[in-house]
Amino acid sequence: MKTAPIAIGLLAGSGLFASTLRGEVEVPKHHAGPNAHETHASATLLGQFRTSVSSWLWLRTDLYLHNGVEMRQLTEAERRRGRAGVGNGEAGQDALHDDSTIVTVVPSKERDFRGFFGDIERATKAYKPMEGHSHNDPKSALPLFRLMTWIDPQFIPGWTTGATVLGRERSDSAIDMGIELLKEGLEHNPNSPSILSELGRFYASKKRDFAKALPYLRRAADLPVRADQLDEVEADGLTSAYRWLCLSYRELGRSGDMYRAAQRGLQLFPDDPLLLRCAADTPYIFTEKGQREWIEQSISASEEHEHHGHDHDHGHEHHDHDHDHDH
Amino acid sequence: MKLRVWWALARGVLLESLRRKDLWVVAILGMIIMAASGALGFFGVDGLQTFAKDLGVTVLGLFSTVIAILTTARLLPDEIRNRTLYPLLARPISRFDLLAGKLMGAILATWLAFVILLALTSVALLMFGVRFEAIMVQYALLKMVGLGVLCAVTLTLSAFMTPSAAATLSFVVAFGSSMIVRGLTMAYETSSPAMQWFFKFINSILPQFGLFDIGPRVANENWAPVPLWVVGGLLAYGVAYAGGMLLLAWSKFRSQAV
Amino acid sequence: MQAIVTEDLHVRYRAKNGQNVHAVQGLSFEVHPGEIVGFLGPNGAGKSSTLKCLMGFVQPSAGSCSVFGLPAGSLEAKRRIGYLPEVALYYPYLTPLETLTLYGELQGLRGSALKRAATDLLEQVGLGQAMNKLNRSLSKGMLQRVGIAQSLLGDPEVLVLDEMTSGLDPIGRKELRELLKARQAQGTTLFFSSHELSEVEMLCDRILLIHQGKLIEERPIQALKDELRQFEITYQGAVSLVDLALEWNELGHNTYRARFSDKHNLLKALDRVQREGRAVVDVVAQEGSLEEFFVETIGRAA
Repeated sequence: MKTAPIAIGLLAGSGLFASTLRGEVEVPKHHAGPNAHETHASATLLGQFRTSVSSWLWLRTDLYLHNGVEMRQLTEAERRRGRAGVGNGEAGQDALHDDSTIVTVVPSKERDFRGFFGDIERATKAYKPMEGHSHNDPKSALPLFRLMTWIDPQFIPGWTTGATVLGRERSDSAIDMGIELLKEGLEHNPNSPSILSELGRFYASKKRDFAKALPYLRRAADLPVRADQLDEVEADGLTSAYRWLCLSYRELGRSGDMYRAAQRGLQLFPDDPLLLRCAADTPYIFTEKGQREWIEQSISASEEHEHHGHDHDHGHEHHDHDHDHDH
Repeated sequence: MKLRVWWALARGVLLESLRRKDLWVVAILGMIIMAASGALGFFGVDGLQTFAKDLGVTVLGLFSTVIAILTTARLLPDEIRNRTLYPLLARPISRFDLLAGKLMGAILATWLAFVILLALTSVALLMFGVRFEAIMVQYALLKMVGLGVLCAVTLTLSAFMTPSAAATLSFVVAFGSSMIVRGLTMAYETSSPAMQWFFKFINSILPQFGLFDIGPRVANENWAPVPLWVVGGLLAYGVAYAGGMLLLAWSKFRSQAV
Repeated sequence: MQAIVTEDLHVRYRAKNGQNVHAVQGLSFEVHPGEIVGFLGPNGAGKSSTLKCLMGFVQPSAGSCSVFGLPAGSLEAKRRIGYLPEVALYYPYLTPLETLTLYGELQGLRGSALKRAATDLLEQVGLGQAMNKLNRSLSKGMLQRVGIAQSLLGDPEVLVLDEMTSGLDPIGRKELRELLKARQAQGTTLFFSSHELSEVEMLCDRILLIHQGKLIEERPIQALKDELRQFEITYQGAVSLVDLALEWNELGHNTYRARFSDKHNLLKALDRVQREGRAVVDVVAQEGSLEEFFVETIGRAA
């Protein structure tokens, strides 16, 4: 099995685990607001069906990345008793991600009171000890993203995560495919900050074409939205858009625009450390050294997050900030 | 002699199921879904083998469960409602024989539907380029044993309650027992000794339908076939549980005024 | 050995509304081998409960019932009984031939003997052309014929028939009567419930009349017929028959009419009229109505 240091929970954003009975991965909220298939009763039913199918597909991606081994969140009671997730097991934590709060749904023999039934279940289910586990290649889940966006084009994470998986391939063709996927998603969701932000990021980070990134990022920043009206995924998307907008302006030598974009972003996200830094440390990053470091670290932080950041408990964009604070 | 009686009754159930349209509706529905999946593969989404297998076993599990419950839940109550029970009971057969024969018929009808769905699924999977693996045979065998247990549970419930109530409860048990067991295993360590005893009791009487489903091993790559002792153990458990259910149904039905 | 015996039979059950029903209350009777006995009573009298007890479908609350000395409901007893339930639908997706094959196998019949028996019986009840059609496509009367045929499978020594003519047209009833008479001639005992009193009259050797779970009349049908039959004579000339007749009237013009319930009184009256030299104008025998008897007897018991 090819080790792939990325998990779908991260790809979708942060904090996606919940203490449900099944408890593996929580499905992100779908794009809010009415759409074409929600205007009539039958169409609503169809829309709900599509939403359910795409949510089911979303959950399956996590399962496939664990090769069928079902995972769950530790319960509150288990956490209080100090039980550790698979990431802290004897095999050592996989350096690429932190699964410190998830365990296998089927318990290990030592933890199973069921005796014979437990032995049978471990033999019949897709079960193995997952301490220090690896994941299947996320590319294998790519068709599912294609499928879920076909079934429910309003399922934003399907577009963005699918593109992110494509973007992990560093070849130009894979990056172009990711961009095409996002553009298709944008046609269905013209007001999605996440998709606009991802498009901008693809151009800025993958293609290093900041001029092409700007229109998408500006469009995201110009959306008439309030941060508190956005769901978690879209709020993250909008934050990211402002950050990449600042970076792109900076790269294009438009320091004034960068400063103004940071100020606008701070009106929506007043606590965002990267935007604060953009606004506050302007003198430093106006220096040649500051510029170079800032750009390199921002890109590197973004890519690192994309590849490595299997942190189910923290917003993935926050990794970027941490790196910036290292100055 | 008993086997002949059981077989005669079972054949009647099987013939009726075959001629009733609902069995074929389910088969056609399964075919449409699988064909749609096949078409999806055909039109260019490559690399969906795992998903196709997963969808296949999910659809199979869902439909065969529905068929098992709907076929079995109405058997006994319909016999009473339509008074077809009287000519049966007027024959020199015991009520246990009647239940056993009906159960055998329900199981055979369910297995037949399952095999039809399995064949359709296999065709669809072939369209995805999914290769045959030995574990798929194990999947089918264990699933069939599990469906037999489900039929026994449903028949027993139908001896105690109305067909709709029996069907509803059977669905709850069929789809919920694994979740209940999962909940028990999650909560066991952090529960009091009294609750732990209670959990063990619940676990011992609940039908362990989840154990018969090795779908996740089939759908995902590189899982070894299930060891033979496990297959044997599940078979023994299935027969014992179904037998126990049959005895429970008989204890209610043996002296029931009809 | 009597074909059927019930002794102080009681059947109690709890109705759907929760009330306790005492359907059969101390019923005792016997049916002799080779006899045809009609089991009569108004709706809710306890007929079906009694028949169900005989078949073992319901357990007696007290008392007992047996078939040829065997406990009712035992496998041995059921081997010797054929049973026709009241208004059975039979399996809609089986054919009459498959239905009889199923029941025949449960009866212990096998192979070609079973197929021959099933085919013969279906032809006997007039379903030769329809034996391979699905039951769901048959009329109510045809389904009743399927029921009759299945009850005759295995040549049972006792036939227990619940509302046997239900759904049958007059031709069907006649054919059934002939069939059952032929069975009786071969030694089969018939015990049946019916609301069709004309059928009872034509077929039975004896009737049992129950009401509210109790036996209120038990009579050979011939004796009952004799009892219910009335005679009427019309004669000219004044001869008093008041002491012999049920009714005695003068019609005018020296003509009199007398009515008798008893044949002996009729003969005595004729003898008296002739000895007095009077002319007998007419003698008429009037068959009595079983229905009136039924209604009157139930009325008295109620």
